Amino acid sequence: MKKKMTDRERTFLLITIPVLLLFFCFNTLPLLKGFVYSFTNFKGYGSYDYVGLRNYKDLLADARVGKSYLFTFKYAIVCTILVNIISLLLALGLNAKIKAKSALRAIYFIPNILGGLVIGYIFGFFFTYILPAIGQSLGISAISSSMLSRTSTAWIAIVIVGAWQSIAMNTIIYISGLQTVPDDVYEAGSIDGATGWKSFKNLTFPLIIPFFTINMVLCMKNFLMVFDQIMSLTKGGPSQSTESISFLIYQNGMSGGQFGFQSANAFVFFVVIVAISVFQMTFLGKKEEQL
Amino acid sequence: MRKYGMAVFGWMAASMAAVALSGCGQAENNGKIQIEIVQYKPEAVKAFEELERKFNETHDDIELKIDSPNDAMTILKTRFIREDYPDIIGIGGDINYSNFLDSDMLMDISDYEGLSEIQEAYLNTAKELEFVPEEGTYAVPYMANAAGVLYNKDIFDEHGWSIPKTWDEFKALCEDIQAEGIQPLYFGFKDTWTCLAPWNAISVDLAPSDVCAQVNRGETIFTEQYREVAVVIKELLTYAQADPFAYSYNDACTAFARGESAMYVIGSYAVPQIKTVNPDINIDSFVFPASNVAEENILNSGNDLQFSIMENCPNKEAAYEVLNFLLEDENVQIYLDDQNAVPCKKGDFTLPSMLEGMTEYIREGKMADYQDHHYPSEMSVDAMIQTYLMDDSENALDTFLTRFDTEWVRYNRDLIQKVQEYEAKGGN
Repeated sequence: MKKKMTDRERTFLLITIPVLLLFFCFNTLPLLKGFVYSFTNFKGYGSYDYVGLRNYKDLLADARVGKSYLFTFKYAIVCTILVNIISLLLALGLNAKIKAKSALRAIYFIPNILGGLVIGYIFGFFFTYILPAIGQSLGISAISSSMLSRTSTAWIAIVIVGAWQSIAMNTIIYISGLQTVPDDVYEAGSIDGATGWKSFKNLTFPLIIPFFTINMVLCMKNFLMVFDQIMSLTKGGPSQSTESISFLIYQNGMSGGQFGFQSANAFVFFVVIVAISVFQMTFLGKKEEQL
Repeated sequence: MRKYGMAVFGWMAASMAAVALSGCGQAENNGKIQIEIVQYKPEAVKAFEELERKFNETHDDIELKIDSPNDAMTILKTRFIREDYPDIIGIGGDINYSNFLDSDMLMDISDYEGLSEIQEAYLNTAKELEFVPEEGTYAVPYMANAAGVLYNKDIFDEHGWSIPKTWDEFKALCEDIQAEGIQPLYFGFKDTWTCLAPWNAISVDLAPSDVCAQVNRGETIFTEQYREVAVVIKELLTYAQADPFAYSYNDACTAFARGESAMYVIGSYAVPQIKTVNPDINIDSFVFPASNVAEENILNSGNDLQFSIMENCPNKEAAYEVLNFLLEDENVQIYLDDQNAVPCKKGDFTLPSMLEGMTEYIREGKMADYQDHHYPSEMSVDAMIQTYLMDDSENALDTFLTRFDTEWVRYNRDLIQKVQEYEAKGGN
């Protein structure tokens, strides 16, 4: 039996279809095309041959790709932990009854408005010239030469810049989470003797776990796709120690002649990100509590 | 309501199709034939703007448009992916040219008359860039550059230092300079590509010029040919500033321009940049003496800018007309004055003064192409050299050379197969 659509339903459909089409054209279609290219030795131009699964086999054996995965995961995990801890602390502070709360919230949000490249270039200058100058005048040898010129410290510099920028957004999400916790929960808790750390651990945190989940997923995904900071701070150096997966795909797929191979890399990377996100959602979703 | 909705939907689909299609196909404006050049030297944008204006003033039937974008190679390749081709490309004689040619994207221009006015040496350089020898000619070499050692003439004259002819003399000179409390060399190794400047200058002296082709044919390996080159480049670090990996190309140019170092191992292309910092600096140059046999030391010079017509350019005659214009003596001189380059065209041009130390080599044709013009860019040899230079462990040299050989095979697999098939068929 066919049910006639109401105007209301039709309107919703009309809103959805164009967006769906746009999404298909600019997201799904390129993905499928890239998938096809991943079976070729396409250089990005000119004639090419199909090479079967060779690109995927090469991916497993390629030391540079392996290194980029290691670096990207190291970076993403450290950043995700750092950002979530700091932004939760900031959110707790900014949610408390303090003076100039709105002004402070606005100030802490500014890093998120600036573009990744702009921040990268400013910090690049800071790490090359200002920080070493401070280090030399104070006699601290650890920072008296540029952090970006040593393989042992360059990634830390990128973590600092990446975290500094994304703490803003996560703080906002945590603040909105904290505002959903009603006051009477704390009142009831304080009667039972839950204050301070206990109140946070047993009351606040379980109630904002949905926000924690979304922050973890967003953070992990964003940091796995790190690109701007690398481009503006190190360009993958020194000694290729800070090449992220996205950077390598862009660098060798576009300006190097590895379009086919890097398409394979991009497809594998897409699958990895989807897998991680699904895992995080199901794992953390189980821990959510409802009032 | 429904009809209206479908109309909206149809409109959206149409506009999306329009977005998708725009960019393809250039209409011919006001009856003129349009020729578009994309050239990859953004630093020469002024010279090309002048040439473009001059051309359009003197030609009624052709409209010339010259683009000089930053990072042109990425832009070109992105355009090629979209199958959007300019008519003429002005690129360097490097691996990109080899790749474009190998992908059948360039037009055979052996019937172009202007080719007879180009010096043989540079046509051969372009020829050597072909992976397997092709029939015909595909590039018009326009400008060459040279790399070696730039030195601050005032500092040298003041101390009476003379130009070294061998590697031992060079080291002795560096020690003299150090003894005077002056920094002999300054490097900008934070930008990995600058590692290739000394590498190229050294390798033309110490390795055969067709080493990459030899390796592809399976006749030799890099571990044998590049050992000495790698040893020499690392010795240079002894005479460099502290922590050369913290400074970029810009920093190094600025430092040299301010007289903070007596010499700078880089190409002639750095001179305009140095002069923007210090217009009065008195620079001259000499050929890098990496060998202890003075005769083995030759100039590192390659095609810095060459023009190729794209295979699917519809107006071959108009494109030839543009090339004719660019090769007119006075127009070549416009470029020379702006860029301190070496012309590939035969004839009497005024060469830039900072190349005086190298002119003898240019006249006698004692030169060889940059070796990195044969390296695939995705292999990132520059970063490999940087890694090697930063590596303090005892077996750094062997690690580097072994890596060079294994990565070479990995990144050139299709090419090596192609070359060996060609050889198996008997070559020519």
